[in-house]
Amino acid sequence: MTTSTVHAPWELRDISKYFPGVRALRGVSLSLRGGRIHALLGQNGSGKTTLAKCLAGVHPPDDGELVHGGEVVHLRSPAAAAERGVAIFHQEFSLVPPLSVAENICLGRMPSPRGVVDWEGARRQARDALSRLGVSLDVTRPVSSLSVAEQQLVEIAKALSGEKTLLILDEPAAALGPVETERLHDVIRALRSEGTAILYISHRLDDVLDVADDISILKDGRLVRTIEAGDTSVREVIRMMIGSDIEKHFEHHPSGARDERLRVEEVWTDAGVKGTSFTVARGEVLGLGGVIGSGRTEIARALFGADRITRGTLWIDGRELRLRSPRDAIAEGIALIPEDRKTDALFFNFPAPANITVANLDAVSSGPFLSLTRERDQARRLIGELKIDARALEQTVRFLSGGNQQKVILARWLFSDAKVLILDEPTQGIDISSKADIYRLIDELTARGVSVVLISSDYRELLEISDRIAVVQGGRVNHIASHGELSEHELIEMAAVDIASEAS
Amino acid sequence: MKNVARSVAGSAVTGPLIVMLLVASVVALTTDRFLVSQNLTNVSLQVAVVAIVAIGATMVILTAQIDLSSGSLAALSSVLLAGLIKKAGVDEPIAFLLIIGMGAGLGFVNGFFSSYGRIPSFIFTLGTLAIFRGLSFLYTGGTPIFSISPQLTQVFYGKFLGLPLPLIYVVVLYALAWAYLRYARGGRHMYAVGGNPSAARLSGIGVNRVRTKAFVLAGALSALGGILLTARLNSGSPNYGQGLELMAIASAVIGGTSLLGGVGSVVATLIGALMIVIVQNALNLHAVASAWQQIALGTIIGVAVGIDMWRSELAKGAQWLWKRTLGRGREDVGGAASGEDSDRAPTAERSQRIDETVKP
Repeated sequence: MTTSTVHAPWELRDISKYFPGVRALRGVSLSLRGGRIHALLGQNGSGKTTLAKCLAGVHPPDDGELVHGGEVVHLRSPAAAAERGVAIFHQEFSLVPPLSVAENICLGRMPSPRGVVDWEGARRQARDALSRLGVSLDVTRPVSSLSVAEQQLVEIAKALSGEKTLLILDEPAAALGPVETERLHDVIRALRSEGTAILYISHRLDDVLDVADDISILKDGRLVRTIEAGDTSVREVIRMMIGSDIEKHFEHHPSGARDERLRVEEVWTDAGVKGTSFTVARGEVLGLGGVIGSGRTEIARALFGADRITRGTLWIDGRELRLRSPRDAIAEGIALIPEDRKTDALFFNFPAPANITVANLDAVSSGPFLSLTRERDQARRLIGELKIDARALEQTVRFLSGGNQQKVILARWLFSDAKVLILDEPTQGIDISSKADIYRLIDELTARGVSVVLISSDYRELLEISDRIAVVQGGRVNHIASHGELSEHELIEMAAVDIASEAS
Repeated sequence: MKNVARSVAGSAVTGPLIVMLLVASVVALTTDRFLVSQNLTNVSLQVAVVAIVAIGATMVILTAQIDLSSGSLAALSSVLLAGLIKKAGVDEPIAFLLIIGMGAGLGFVNGFFSSYGRIPSFIFTLGTLAIFRGLSFLYTGGTPIFSISPQLTQVFYGKFLGLPLPLIYVVVLYALAWAYLRYARGGRHMYAVGGNPSAARLSGIGVNRVRTKAFVLAGALSALGGILLTARLNSGSPNYGQGLELMAIASAVIGGTSLLGGVGSVVATLIGALMIVIVQNALNLHAVASAWQQIALGTIIGVAVGIDMWRSELAKGAQWLWKRTLGRGREDVGGAASGEDSDRAPTAERSQRIDETVKP
């Protein structure tokens, strides 16, 4: 390994990044010094990942400067960032399954003197990188033959190998077990002593405070503060993440009726729901709280028939359900607004009307034929009611803002008269006024007797809207509290800390 | 210039229509034998088979799949039709129904394995392309079956209300396909499945079923194409339909149907088919060797797909030119396609066109 020369610092000066309808980062300035572990904390949507992607060349910043060793640099692509010694490790795998471990670790920088690949050198590099993690794997095996845990280790080894000036870890622990996490921390401590700057993004606050030297907190795309890790506590960090200047968007109207609508009993799926049970009443909002990877999305998919239920039962209005596909769920009046609206919900080849009617074409058909006039009229009515951009009547939904897109999807399920509405992160990445519209709509729907299952990582929102809060951990509901019973602090602690204790 | 930029990225039907009329005018200006009624009748007969098979190709492509086996299926239909009528003595109408049914059945095989079976349709139908062709040769022993039945040619050369029958078939089938894609739930589902299969599934649409249906229709239409090829020469041959799949897919793509799925219109496909046949006809009239005709067809396909894929870049290029030259000092006209992610650009350019094609 190289000797411990401290690498030149990376400076972010007034970095801003805009996405359509959202200002993801607003004038953030940070200094990442060599030989320091810098934790970046904040709630979902506060801009942490965007900041990481600016540094990794994925999203070049729209404003501001990146300075490395006193020199302004423009990282226009991941390759340009890699050339400057920036590496990023994140949850989404970037491995190529058919290639060998060695090829994956050396991908993009195969040792190839005179244009010929030095296979022995590549294998040696890969073995070195793995041995720093305390792992010995046959580096000639294809990655596809490894277990998921082993693949994660290869992923880390890939990020660690070679000379790094800056290592970015975006939620590395979400994909790792406790033993691997500890090992990862050992490795980044070792890298720190070699002089590398490390940017560590995580939701597991106690983990982070354990390993970090500096802590920066982001909120709504702005830097709240940078402090030394020794000067703070989990409690104080949470307070800074939440802030105290948040206006109240939503007035909670507790639902009166308490007839049971949906009953979930000991449900398991292969995707990661592990024997969960709960009920949702008519007109009730049940909030699911939990950290990334806790199994909330998987529970939603099980209720919607998107993942097969291997054990356990679902009841709706006292009838047992057998859901083989989302189509069955829709027929029973269950609707899902998925977390990733771009890949799982929107048809970018359709304008709003066809997007709205797609799950209930019967309502605009006579026999097998669609009435395009009726479709248009119905769409116009919903577009008005939900305050969707009127241009969506003609134009494809591609050109709408995130908030308007989300409202189009809501309109789809209003149009199909859903009885149970599952909302997975419905307000993520959308503007305040659309958020308020969505809250108002949830309120109206529950007043009409619709049951809502709400998944949100915005705990304040979750606590304010939900009649009851279920804390999800390890694929099941572990605790249910009534509205007002939990504070945001308590919920964050319950969701984050229990995982840690379960893990250890 | 702005308008030119917009129309490059614009409508699904008007673009191809303008290009086709341009091509037709060039042809008409370079030879006086083009706008002759006998030649135009020839063109309409030539376009019939390609156009009919191209309906199926369009539907399959709309669901983001591809069918490479249609030409071979037409050949298999041709030899089996000849066999049914000449050897087995089956009445023509019944033979037609059997053959179209067989086409639908083989289309089902294509669709079933490409969707439920998860074998990429490009590969699976590449396989059936070879298999169907092989079966046709196996059945005939390699020689055509001549002089099938004197009445058979009436299916192709007959007239109705003074119009050639193939023209009637084309008009009727295109009207049905257009109405189906625009007004039937099944048609809407095809666009939805091609536009976003994951969202289609989560909206309760049976993605595999819709894809299979597109292949079944394509198979039946290929068989019909085979019947017309057979009637035209009153003989069945295993050599029929070579490259027919290429012409059918090219018609769809030249008409603006996106190979990514979810965007397209059969009316535009008909224009695409006409364009191909007019170019071929023109080359024939100028006595260009058939080798060069194939090269010309290939070039047209490459250019058409290129325009499809580079639409947003072409529009941006046109805007850039505009700003640099005539539009100096004007406001930036940067289009919506210049979003933050270049890999999302195809969606942007596809969605611009869909406004014209499936506007309900």
